[in-house]
Amino acid sequence: MTPRSKPRIEFVALLAACALFLSTIEYLIPKPLPFMRLGLANLPLIIALGLLSWKEYLLLALLKVLGQALISGTIFSYIFLFSLAGTTASILIMLLLYNVLKKRVSLIGISIAGAMASNIAQLLLSRYLLFGEAAKLVAPPFLIVGLVTSIILGVFAQQFIAKSRWYKGVQ
Amino acid sequence: MSIANVRLLAGLLALPSILFQRNFLAVIIQCLYVIVVAVSYSRRFKLLPNLILLFSVSLAHLLQPNGLLLFSIGKFPITLGALTLGAHKAFTLISLLYLSHYMVTARPKFPGLLGQLISLQFYFFEQIREVWQSIKVKRPLIGAIDEMLLKISLESAKVAEHSSPRASPKELLFNAFHVVALWTLFFLGYYSILPILN
Amino acid sequence: MTPIRVGDIIIFLLAVALIIGSFSFYSTISGKPEVRVKSGAGESIYDLSVDTQATFKGPVGETTIEIRGGQVHVSESDCRNKVCISAGWISSPGEWIICLPNNVFVRIEGSLEEGSPDDTSF
Repeated sequence: MTPRSKPRIEFVALLAACALFLSTIEYLIPKPLPFMRLGLANLPLIIALGLLSWKEYLLLALLKVLGQALISGTIFSYIFLFSLAGTTASILIMLLLYNVLKKRVSLIGISIAGAMASNIAQLLLSRYLLFGEAAKLVAPPFLIVGLVTSIILGVFAQQFIAKSRWYKGVQ
Repeated sequence: MSIANVRLLAGLLALPSILFQRNFLAVIIQCLYVIVVAVSYSRRFKLLPNLILLFSVSLAHLLQPNGLLLFSIGKFPITLGALTLGAHKAFTLISLLYLSHYMVTARPKFPGLLGQLISLQFYFFEQIREVWQSIKVKRPLIGAIDEMLLKISLESAKVAEHSSPRASPKELLFNAFHVVALWTLFFLGYYSILPILN
Repeated sequence: MTPIRVGDIIIFLLAVALIIGSFSFYSTISGKPEVRVKSGAGESIYDLSVDTQATFKGPVGETTIEIRGGQVHVSESDCRNKVCISAGWISSPGEWIICLPNNVFVRIEGSLEEGSPDDTSF
């Protein structure tokens, strides 16, 4: 195989493109509340934990956030800050847990932890930028939705890495 | 300067005039102005999501009573100041959102390696969309995703070069006008020349 | 083979604990002391924990109240004897300041300290 660096960077871009694709799918799914999110775009981030070095992983997260912001046109508004804060908080906790707990945790637990971190970061931000004191009131429903969707995403990610031929090929 | 960079720069220059606006009426006018500009550059505008945002943020601020009591629902006070504070934040957010929409209408490019990577990401994004549409049987899901990912070759990656044309004098003039208009609204608000509503 | 491991259960329980904990916010948000101001324009309400200033018009001019650090006082008033300003800061529910000439009545309502049954059953 040719030197590793070039295909690796293309591989990161491919994963980031998957995140972008999933966020457009998420956009098409109707949601009962405007601020409610499934976080489909985080799936590549969860799956990539076992595939990338930490530097490549941070690059993937950066591309995911920038790509989403460019495609939705939110990059220069503070909606972008919410996405940045949420993703940063979740990837840091996910990287940490994945590397520290290793065999003692599956992608389900990692997904839950990531979603909680992301939700807390975004709630703190909305406390200052959007909702004021009422951020405290939206916290419980937000966290509950985050817990449920992150379990579903985690289970899916776990199934994916167990069954996917592609994953075995790139691992 | 390219069109993309002119719009980017105009947006960045206008941004603080919205962010630091303290006059409620002025921020509403700024918001309408920015929406009209974004829509005139063929950005879509949907009323409902913006209305939901406006209502939910205003409603959220009612928890912290502020100012004149309009009426009470049970023991819960509906105060004017709280409503306008929430609405002000919502209008600021919507304004920045459409300003941002406007800024990317000419597809700005990031410089350097990051810019190349983003272009690459968008190249793969188009590939994924095409391949995913070509896959007929999408159950089981993991199988379908596998099929898609295996079809996309990393080697074939090519980044389509697009360069933004140079800005015409007319383009420059329009952008300068937008910046001046938004800052004029800022100063009309700052010196309370526009009436204070709350 | 079950993929669920010890770490997953611990993280799940922590998340549930976090959610249960977050519900306690609901009790802190009701029953906060409020500043109620009656003036010619009607009644105005402010949160005592949020620093702010507000001006009210009355028969002899303007009266300005200031809320800072959980206390409230009349900072400026166009009345002649300035009794309202010399009344100083108030901070407890039940306390009040009145500016008779300008028809402005400031009082603090709500009972965080006493925790009366009224607060819990809203």
